[in-house]
Amino acid sequence: MKRFVAIFILFLLPVCARAQAADTETRELIARLLARIDTLEQRVTELEKGRDPKTPAVPAARQAPAEATAAHLHEQAPGPETPTSEAAQPVYPSLKLSGFGDVNFSATNLHGTSGGFGPQTLLAPHSGFALGQTTLHLTSALSPKVSFFGELTFTARTDAGTGSPSAPGFNPEVERLILRYDANDYFKISFGRYHTPVNYWNTAFHHGQWLQTTISRPEMTQFGGAFIPVHFIGTLVEGAVPAGGLNLNYNFGLGNGRGQVIGRGGDAGDINNNRAWLVNLFVKPNLPYGIQVGGSVYRDRLNPIGGQAAGEWIESAHIVWQKETPEFLAEFANVTHQPVFGRSRNSQAWYVQAAYRLPWFERLWKPYYRIEQIHVPRSDATFRAVPTFTGSTAGVRYDFSSLAAFKLEYRYYWLRDSAPVKGIFAQTSFTF
Amino acid sequence: MSHCLCSRRVFLSGAGGLAAAVVRGAPDPSAVAIVVRTDLPLDNLSFAELRRVMLGDRQFWSSNLKVTLLVRAPGARERDVVLKTIYQMSEAQFRQYWIAKVFRAEAASAPRIVYSNEMATELVSQIPGSVAFVEASQVPKGLKTLKINGLLPGQPGYPLHE
Repeated sequence: MKRFVAIFILFLLPVCARAQAADTETRELIARLLARIDTLEQRVTELEKGRDPKTPAVPAARQAPAEATAAHLHEQAPGPETPTSEAAQPVYPSLKLSGFGDVNFSATNLHGTSGGFGPQTLLAPHSGFALGQTTLHLTSALSPKVSFFGELTFTARTDAGTGSPSAPGFNPEVERLILRYDANDYFKISFGRYHTPVNYWNTAFHHGQWLQTTISRPEMTQFGGAFIPVHFIGTLVEGAVPAGGLNLNYNFGLGNGRGQVIGRGGDAGDINNNRAWLVNLFVKPNLPYGIQVGGSVYRDRLNPIGGQAAGEWIESAHIVWQKETPEFLAEFANVTHQPVFGRSRNSQAWYVQAAYRLPWFERLWKPYYRIEQIHVPRSDATFRAVPTFTGSTAGVRYDFSSLAAFKLEYRYYWLRDSAPVKGIFAQTSFTF
Repeated sequence: MSHCLCSRRVFLSGAGGLAAAVVRGAPDPSAVAIVVRTDLPLDNLSFAELRRVMLGDRQFWSSNLKVTLLVRAPGARERDVVLKTIYQMSEAQFRQYWIAKVFRAEAASAPRIVYSNEMATELVSQIPGSVAFVEASQVPKGLKTLKINGLLPGQPGYPLHE
């Protein structure tokens, strides 16, 4: 028995020795901390003595209170910034990355293996899930007055893969690439590839599916659509002037117009010696706060594949009430084609969309409705592929996070030359 | 004027409704001051102009001086006052507004987030052209309080308070 006790004590000895060593370290640490507290208390006393009680002095950098940590837990936007002189100095370049994504489901009365009526287009006959666009945004200030903006997308397509016939895959695209010099609020000049500021939706939402209330875009600004030129490559001068409380904004653009496939811009060069130009004006008056009214004029010369050369004029107008109780958007565009031989043709498109953020259920639900129409004369050869239709879209948006939403909508399109198209669509979209 | 006038608005309930009286000499605990550096060539902003600044529609004080917005993190009273009175937006709408603004390439970034009034005033003192919102009683020496429509915090009609 004594042997067992001796062995037990032998085992305990090193443990106690370790504990004693740890205890010594702890005592030293406590002593150091107490000394530091004493120093800090002395410093606080000195500061308080020298301070005007009515006016607090500009605080020291390390005086941010504990609430900063608590606040950060709720903040999902920019990260915490330390109020040091280093943090206050801008750094160039200052690259920031963000993006959008969406996943879709559709069930329509159309069936087929290709083409059709998916969440994004009138002509995608597909039922099932589909990955929408993955969009990456790159922003970077290059100097106090020069900034860069880039937008890249990866779009799932049935023909974007390899092999013959092509396997499904992802189609990468440089959607926007803008280098801008901001002289002041009145004058900014940029160069690059833009969403053409020829109507409201095209610049306000475009690839930001989460930003728009609905799942689908109006057909007049559809991805790959031809009714308006959705992209523009060239230069843009823009600015804003107070104009007596009207807050007049302007865009003047000059660049390559449509490509030979008129749904595409002239990315690799213009197809003729005539540059397209545009003027876009809109006001955002002080009162009523939240309204925007504007219009655009766009001029180009077209040389489409298999079509006749023609001059193109686009006139458009919009009125938008940007608040959500209610939200209201209305746009109209008229496109005139003037063929070299023959008479001019006019095509029109418009939509009216209304939504309302419900005051109940933590204001997370927003029902909406849109009616839209495109009318193209049969004799307009340039717009032969643009559908003539009237469509209704009704749905509801549920914001299950401040950065993600679920949408469910029903569409019914009356087409001029074929049976109506109807379907149910669902989408979850988000930003990151 | 480098700090607030230190007035208090006292609401008295009467037969005809609420009547307001201003008692001089005490800080208005609900007023939020707009603070800038003293070298900013501006002393007064109309409320509409202030809104343009806060919306990112006005991005320059002058051609050589850019606006840098500093906004308190969610949960701060100053942020609630600014969202309610200037933006007239909910927290979610405010967030979406700035994401959309950057998305449209109309602004390089959203406002910088600050986590305390001390941090806000510290950065204002260091960044030329910066503007922050702090409780009127906490405006330190060495910074300037901007008037709104000719009014300082605590004066009758001053718009930035709860």
